[in-house]
Amino acid sequence: MLKSLNFHENSQKVIRAIDNRIRIITAGLGIDELQRVLRGDPPKERPNPRYKVHTTSFLFHIRPRYYQKGSTLFAHTFRLGFFVTFFFFVELVTGVILMIYYVPTPAGAYESILNIMSSVPFGKLMRDIHRLGAEAMVIFTFLHMFRTYMTGSYKKERSFTWFTGVILLGLTLFISFFGYLLPWDQLAYWAVTIGTSMAESAPVGGTEVNLLLRGAPDIGAGGLLRAYLLHIILLPLAAVLVISIHYYKVAREHGISLPARFEEGDDVSQEKKKEAKQRIDYIPDLLTHEVFLTFVGLFVIIFAAIFFYNAPLENIANPQQTPLDTKAPWYFWWLQGMLKLGDKSLMGIILPTLIVILFIAVPYIDRNPHRSFTKRPFAIALGILSLAILIVLSYMGTPFYAIETPAATRILQDLAPEEGVGQLRAVPYEQLQPGIYETNVTPTSDLCLDIPYGCPELESLFAEFTDRVNQAEEEGKLSDAQGIMVIEEWQANLKKITMRIIWTDPESGESKTYQHNYYLHEERLGE
Amino acid sequence: MTRVQIEIMLGIILVLASSVLLIVVGLNEEERMEEFVKAHDAQAIEIGASLFEANCSGCHGSQGEGIVGLCPPLNDANFFTNRLREVGWSGTLEDYIVSIVSSGRTTSTRPSEYVGQGIPAMPAWSEQYGGPLREDQVRSIAAFVMNWEATAVEGVTLEQLATPTPSAEELADPVARGQTVYLQNGCGGCHVIDGLSAGVVGPNLNEIGVVAATRVEGLSAEDYIRESILNPNNYIVEGYPENVMPQTFGDTLDDQQLDDLTEFLLAQD
Repeated sequence: MLKSLNFHENSQKVIRAIDNRIRIITAGLGIDELQRVLRGDPPKERPNPRYKVHTTSFLFHIRPRYYQKGSTLFAHTFRLGFFVTFFFFVELVTGVILMIYYVPTPAGAYESILNIMSSVPFGKLMRDIHRLGAEAMVIFTFLHMFRTYMTGSYKKERSFTWFTGVILLGLTLFISFFGYLLPWDQLAYWAVTIGTSMAESAPVGGTEVNLLLRGAPDIGAGGLLRAYLLHIILLPLAAVLVISIHYYKVAREHGISLPARFEEGDDVSQEKKKEAKQRIDYIPDLLTHEVFLTFVGLFVIIFAAIFFYNAPLENIANPQQTPLDTKAPWYFWWLQGMLKLGDKSLMGIILPTLIVILFIAVPYIDRNPHRSFTKRPFAIALGILSLAILIVLSYMGTPFYAIETPAATRILQDLAPEEGVGQLRAVPYEQLQPGIYETNVTPTSDLCLDIPYGCPELESLFAEFTDRVNQAEEEGKLSDAQGIMVIEEWQANLKKITMRIIWTDPESGESKTYQHNYYLHEERLGE
Repeated sequence: MTRVQIEIMLGIILVLASSVLLIVVGLNEEERMEEFVKAHDAQAIEIGASLFEANCSGCHGSQGEGIVGLCPPLNDANFFTNRLREVGWSGTLEDYIVSIVSSGRTTSTRPSEYVGQGIPAMPAWSEQYGGPLREDQVRSIAAFVMNWEATAVEGVTLEQLATPTPSAEELADPVARGQTVYLQNGCGGCHVIDGLSAGVVGPNLNEIGVVAATRVEGLSAEDYIRESILNPNNYIVEGYPENVMPQTFGDTLDDQQLDDLTEFLLAQD
């Protein structure tokens, strides 16, 4: 009876059916071949079944069949381009999730961020990852470009790829820049106001471009909607197109460049050069490596977003109140730095445009055929010099450089900034002992004998206040200066802190006062 | 092991580690969201306090104590327990505050006690009704006003700072004393004196010490000011309506205060 079931034949049939099904799913690899892939053995069937998928599947046909072994060395590429793409997809996914809750109107935008923070599970994490991913994408795009420049990988057949890369750097910066506005807080509003006002300085059409971006002379409902649409549709679509072109060139035309030593190194043996040109197949080696890198990236960004990063959220945008320390997004500080150096339209538009053109033209200007460090000293020196200039200009773009704030305003802003926590708001609520504290009159230690364990934070705040006022006096910025701090109980759970600096104006001899009142609630956020 | 196998193994470990992180975050989400709401409510009260100081304290007093004859108190038990019934409001007290702050009030509900007979009793503050504040700012003010409930009805008491005793110099100077009267009685809520108050409802008092003498023939500056405080309707400046300024200062100010206030106003030139 068992024989009549024909067990062996049937099981062969089943195995063949499964094998067939797997071949359909994997587009070419049978059970046997899959096992060989996992064992790390070379392909058995001819033609190589591991290549078949590259012609039958859309997603695989845009991937390379192999890279040269030498070009996959970690220390050559650092996987920078891969991670830019990775972050692009991270932004895409988290961005779509955030879009579910976001409303692009002045009244709704900030409210929807608060909603994401207060009533959407994982909302804060999504926002943190989206923001962190954006910053990382800008950094990695820049590093990727810098690596390409330093290894001379933009030469010859890669000139056009370099050109698309420059476009992508620009797109990345602009996607990030317009995304900056969307939370509609003070940080966003003023950074983008500064950014778009740079466009205004163009000698021709600047006013029109600025008006087109903002939708009105000032950023309002129109400007927000325009930034939103640029951020979520127009620029990402353009990026997808240019990324495709950029990647297709790499994957299907010229591959990743070999480290220069394998092409022109005099002290590298022929054998090594030959070995560097060996093929590494996409399936299984490169594919597993990409999946692995994806998980590394996911883990790192989730870990960093949870433990080390909080996406900033300041007070709701207030067009009537310019914050004291306004700055553009950090990747445009260099431009702000340049603007401080000279004429607005020369430094803000003409020079940057020339820089971009120069940047695109690098492969066409640099006719040196060699790629080794030692054989292109001038290009390498120029690269390092440019990086140094970029860093210096960025520093000059921050408010720390060449912006003088009146001393009294500066002191209060440093102790109790308009945005963020600062030393005053970091004092625990119970330590805010009601009283009147006068610098150089009230002692700075043993202030609160009635409070168990004293009030070390309040004492150090008051000591800092005293120091800063005395220091300003010594430096001649204030004369006859005195600082007064009054802490009052204002409501249940609410205290009012008055910070006042009184000094004598050296020119008129009049007494001047700068004062700011702060209200602190017991349950406020503060570390 | 081959490189592929190592990568597969590490990849699996990383996926597990990421999942653990996400689960831990997920378990803490409820608590995090509650904390955020609390902190945000606290921040709204802080912002409301600043806005109240800048916009409302001129009439309602710096701590919501109100000014007799001008503006009702917002920090007393009556406001929290009786007010809604008095005006027949069906919503919550917070909604009531938002509504009144937003759109203002054309007439007083207690015309015998506070201004507002036939003229606006309170200006509209929301942008929607032509005022200067956004909706979220109005709501912050309401949150701040609601925060008086604890001291008004629940018996919470606040520690008061010993007010610094005025120096002998200040006590001897009637102008300085008059300034205190001016500020304590809410004059600044309606009148402008540069550097002191910024009300726009009543006439500008920056040069009242000079202008007062020219207003009514045969009346000295001092008499004009005194009369205008006691019986505001007697001499109405052109362009300003009658019955806006409280007519109760004769009852609430004693003679000394009236003299000091007059001296202070005469000094504005």
